[in-house]
Amino acid sequence: MPAIYTTEWYEAVREAINASVAGIKGVPEGAWTCRVEIIGDSASPYVQGGAERHFLVRIESGLCSWYREVDPGDEAMVLDYRFRGPAAVFDAIAAGIDDPIDAALRGAVKVRGDMRFLMRQADLVKTLLDAYATAVDTTWPRGRPPYEGSTGGSPAGDTGGNGGGSRSGGDTGGNGSGSRSGGDIGGNGGGSRSGGDTGGGNA
Amino acid sequence: MTKATYDAIIIGAGHNGLCLAAYLQRAGLDTLVLERRHEEGGGANTEEPVMAGFRHNLHAQYMEFFDVMPMIQDFGLEDLGLRTVMPDAQAGIAFADGRPPIVLHRPDRLDATRASIARYSAQDADLFVELKRRAMALEALVATNLYNPPNLTDSTPGAQADMLDALFGDLGVGRHYAQKSPKQVIDELFETPELRALLYRVTVEWGFPVDQTGTGGAFLSFVMWTVGNWKLALGGTHTLAKAMTQACYREGVDLLESSPVEAIIVADGRATGVRTRSGREIRATKLVASNADLRQTLLDLVGEDHLSSLWVKRARAYRYGPSHVLATPMFCLYEPPAYSSARWDPDIDRCFYTMVGFDGPEDTIRYIRDAYSGMLPQPAAGTWVNSLWDASQAPAGRHSATGWYFMPPASSLDARQWAEVRAEYNDRFLGVWQRSAPNMTPDNVLAHKLYTPDQIERKNLMREGDFSNGEFSPDQMGANRPFPEASSYRTEVDGLYLCGPSAHPGGGMHAACGYNAFKAISEDLGLASPLVAERGY
Amino acid sequence: MAAGLAGTQAAAMRDAYDVVIIGAGHNGLTLGAYLARSGLDVAVLERRHEEGGGLCTEEITLAGFLHNVHANYHTFVDMAPPVGDLEVREHGVEYVRPEVQMASVFDDGTALCIHSDIDKTCASIARFNEEDAETFRRLYNEAHGFIDLLLGTLMYQPPMSVKELTKALSAFGVDKRSEFLSVKLRVETIDKFLDQHFTDPKVKAHLAFHGAVCGYTNDVPGLAIGFPLLAGKIDNWHLCIGGSHRLAHALWRDLAQHGGVMISDAEVASIAVDAGHAVGVRLADGTEISARRAVVSTVSVEQTFLDFLDPAAVSRELRGRVTTDVKHKDWSLFSVHLAMNRFPEYAAASFDPDVDRAWVVNLGYGSPAELDADWATIRGGGLPAPRPNAAVNSLYDPTDAPEGYATGLLRQFAPFALANGGEAAWDDIGPFYGRKCIEAWRRFAPNMTDDAFLATTVFTPFDIARKLPNMVRGDWMMGEISLDNMLDQRPLPELGQYRTPVERLYMAGSTQHPHGFITFGPAYNALQVMAEDLGIEPWWRKI
Repeated sequence: MPAIYTTEWYEAVREAINASVAGIKGVPEGAWTCRVEIIGDSASPYVQGGAERHFLVRIESGLCSWYREVDPGDEAMVLDYRFRGPAAVFDAIAAGIDDPIDAALRGAVKVRGDMRFLMRQADLVKTLLDAYATAVDTTWPRGRPPYEGSTGGSPAGDTGGNGGGSRSGGDTGGNGSGSRSGGDIGGNGGGSRSGGDTGGGNA
Repeated sequence: MTKATYDAIIIGAGHNGLCLAAYLQRAGLDTLVLERRHEEGGGANTEEPVMAGFRHNLHAQYMEFFDVMPMIQDFGLEDLGLRTVMPDAQAGIAFADGRPPIVLHRPDRLDATRASIARYSAQDADLFVELKRRAMALEALVATNLYNPPNLTDSTPGAQADMLDALFGDLGVGRHYAQKSPKQVIDELFETPELRALLYRVTVEWGFPVDQTGTGGAFLSFVMWTVGNWKLALGGTHTLAKAMTQACYREGVDLLESSPVEAIIVADGRATGVRTRSGREIRATKLVASNADLRQTLLDLVGEDHLSSLWVKRARAYRYGPSHVLATPMFCLYEPPAYSSARWDPDIDRCFYTMVGFDGPEDTIRYIRDAYSGMLPQPAAGTWVNSLWDASQAPAGRHSATGWYFMPPASSLDARQWAEVRAEYNDRFLGVWQRSAPNMTPDNVLAHKLYTPDQIERKNLMREGDFSNGEFSPDQMGANRPFPEASSYRTEVDGLYLCGPSAHPGGGMHAACGYNAFKAISEDLGLASPLVAERGY
Repeated sequence: MAAGLAGTQAAAMRDAYDVVIIGAGHNGLTLGAYLARSGLDVAVLERRHEEGGGLCTEEITLAGFLHNVHANYHTFVDMAPPVGDLEVREHGVEYVRPEVQMASVFDDGTALCIHSDIDKTCASIARFNEEDAETFRRLYNEAHGFIDLLLGTLMYQPPMSVKELTKALSAFGVDKRSEFLSVKLRVETIDKFLDQHFTDPKVKAHLAFHGAVCGYTNDVPGLAIGFPLLAGKIDNWHLCIGGSHRLAHALWRDLAQHGGVMISDAEVASIAVDAGHAVGVRLADGTEISARRAVVSTVSVEQTFLDFLDPAAVSRELRGRVTTDVKHKDWSLFSVHLAMNRFPEYAAASFDPDVDRAWVVNLGYGSPAELDADWATIRGGGLPAPRPNAAVNSLYDPTDAPEGYATGLLRQFAPFALANGGEAAWDDIGPFYGRKCIEAWRRFAPNMTDDAFLATTVFTPFDIARKLPNMVRGDWMMGEISLDNMLDQRPLPELGQYRTPVERLYMAGSTQHPHGFITFGPAYNALQVMAEDLGIEPWWRKI
């Protein structure tokens, strides 16, 4: 049971996605680079308010071949898609309590890129999203969404009630993977530092 | 858009302002043009104000300076959309009783011109053609006069008299003709009343009062050079403005329409920028140039506080009209006018510019005198049917006619009276037109409109509806335009220049005011001169 | 200087470019500017003396009164990628989004206002029906959520088929997730959609009218599919200060600054085809201009395939379909342009004072059924008792009239061809119908008496076709908006992807997906296709 946003968790997500895609026929050939941008919103305890964590995900022939965290300012990679939204929303999707398509429809997660391709590959996209949202049994060391007062990017400050929870989550969530997470897919940016700090504290 | 600071700010995107802007930007000055209207071009204006698909030039009609205009060469305006046609039959006059017309042809078809006048008088035909032939040799001189500041060319009465002697002396048309009025010159030289009627009209069209003594030389040189030397800008006169604007865009000029300037900011005797009516201040580090009219520039935008009492007095004394106040009638036609005079010479039906309603010289004189004295003349007009040469100017199979009426200055009538003129004057003219061209019945007219001097004033701020933007008379011409102290394009406010038609050589589609202002500025700022040795200016 | 005198023609323009674009409307200029920015040598040829096409602002009443003869409402500002990519604002375009966007005034003296502030809009609707107000808020919010997705999917991409779209929506389960999006939308009318979600007939009438003004006729099956987008941008109507034509100047400037040229008064007579490839154009005056890489037409399908192309260059089948199958709007617009000495004061201001500040006021229908009755009249070539909408741009643009005066525009739905006398009858009946429109306005705005008008000029559906012949039969949308003329079916299936059966000949005007209006969509989408074909690096693609 990997903790959210740890290397184990990402690996589990990747495996889940690749396993689910394996069953689909007619997966398009080709490679796509996607960027996922998680905006710290003070509701999620996993990405600090004001910070952002950006990840590149490479899909090749429907399968996730690699992923890595990048500095929010690093735009060197040519992208095919960009998904951007508040951490609380991404958290909620990963927790299976928000729906990625809903999130896109209500504009909570912004999608940029060739929409036509996404529409034409709706089955594949749906499969990938479902895998992301539900296939991994995630643990939430600093509290589990939904966060109080947060429906996806709602204002900070409402997390007070949850704040203790999230801190206590930090205290108790010593799965030791936090530091590795920081090292492997973090290592830069506010978000990763936050991961590193808490991980270190927990180790 | 627009930065807070430019090297140069030009007020007015008339063709002179556009010309200056293109040269300034090319010379390396970061230049902004602010235009009050939503459209560039000022008097280089073509619209469809009557019916869809029928184009009319509201201001400038015929183009005589395209061959000498530096900007056309220097910025390759032909590649940017400027194209022209030069009709063979250039200027004609048709008569109600169907007697022979007079048709003046292009300068390379003077044989045809001679044949036309000879119907009335072999003597007049020979003399006119000889004068015209010699006047055409003046092109280089005309160009040199236009594209230089007035104080750099010798335009003194003495020099002009010498020129007449040299050019026409052996014909007996020597120096003393410079002292006469155009009417005196015309009457002395030509016996044919029909030719006189035509030439009076051509003369006043340039804003030269036909009775004014001392402009006889201008008639013999300038008017004789220009008459029948006219081109049509394909698509309408506005094409010139389009090509100039495109040149400005390509040079990187910033051009902002719908941006009236409220004030030229003056600090310590120097123009440092402008304030727009919307309250924005934009700084000009090197210069402000105004293409607006003289009084607006000095009295309204600079303000009397920043001027000497002499300059205030001069600006107030500057006169607009009455000698070049026009109204532009616009007719959408099923067929072009077919003149009864055409049975003598079919060219009158395919003439670029046709005068209608002047059955004799007295008619032309009365017409002009009425307009000058603030009265509505009996309707008569110079007319153009540009769709004869440029199918784009009217829907297929239809024709677009435009004309010029001479009118009293805008302030002679009140708004209600001008509305009445708009409501009825075209119909009256149509009655006159029909007498010369029987097919010009109301049934031949799909629609028509009249653009009156009060509207001209409102649209282009040409005061009183004066197409020259300041009367052409010896005291307001050459080194006296707009007044002697301001005739170098510079003003007593440092860094403020005049680049519009209130400077030499005045109104007209030559872009010389802008070009000459650039020369003055390039001297002051040490920029490269635009002089091209080959063309001599 | 004798050279200039000898020939009738002065020096000709350059005779070869990489790309020649026919038509300097907003699509032609936009595509030209992108291609020029991509390093191509571009000429945009315009038949008229002015660039801009529908971006046409002229002083057709009196000097100093600026009238938008065609496009008046800019509803895709900041949604259309070219506005940013081509730095339209940096080129001097100023947009205003009026606080009171539009209103309907009704016969009973009530009024409904759409504000730029959704709370105020809902408060105005609530005066008619509180539930409708809440429904509208949900519709608006929902549409706002997916507006980017919708624009990206439906507007600024070469089109998919309805079938593909339906399949995707179903795969994503969209109709289960949305209150307002459903697969059924593609067979329903806007009227039906409104009936399903709203109660008050006036609220419905306002929204139905809004759809129609946007080109989505409220009684045409399938157009419900477009309504959520229309609702989501109902308050995104922008006014271009100094007239819509200024946008044309900005686009032209961008083109020219990047090395392209726009040539006005250059009427194309034919497209030159060599071995199945478009290689240039010939102008009406005989000038030949060759195109090294591509020829693009932004004018009508009929002009392009029947007039410009030699019959030998087009299959007989395509010529036949262009002749018979191209669908044009079955109604057009009749306009009255007004030079006025006062602003309208509506009787309904006693109900809601904001109507006097509304940019556009619909002389409101009491119900969609009343509007539909007028459609029936119009489709039969008849003239309904006018219920125009009245736009007074001067409320928000002080530059469009002399100080102390105002510019007005009445727009009435009307047939192109009148049952009695065809379109030519407009020349006689136009002024009369114009007076009827003014009288209708006066019933709601009593101060608009005859002495309020310095001048009036009517602009009839026939005038539209005469001024801009690409708007065939006064079709200001350049092709009907209907299910069978949408997306990849527009304007014909074989022309739906901007390419044509003639190699190197592209279509990029409002005949193409998405449709007319100042959307920039046809040009932007054609650009994607051309970039692929010509190997242009899509620098504009910002993901």
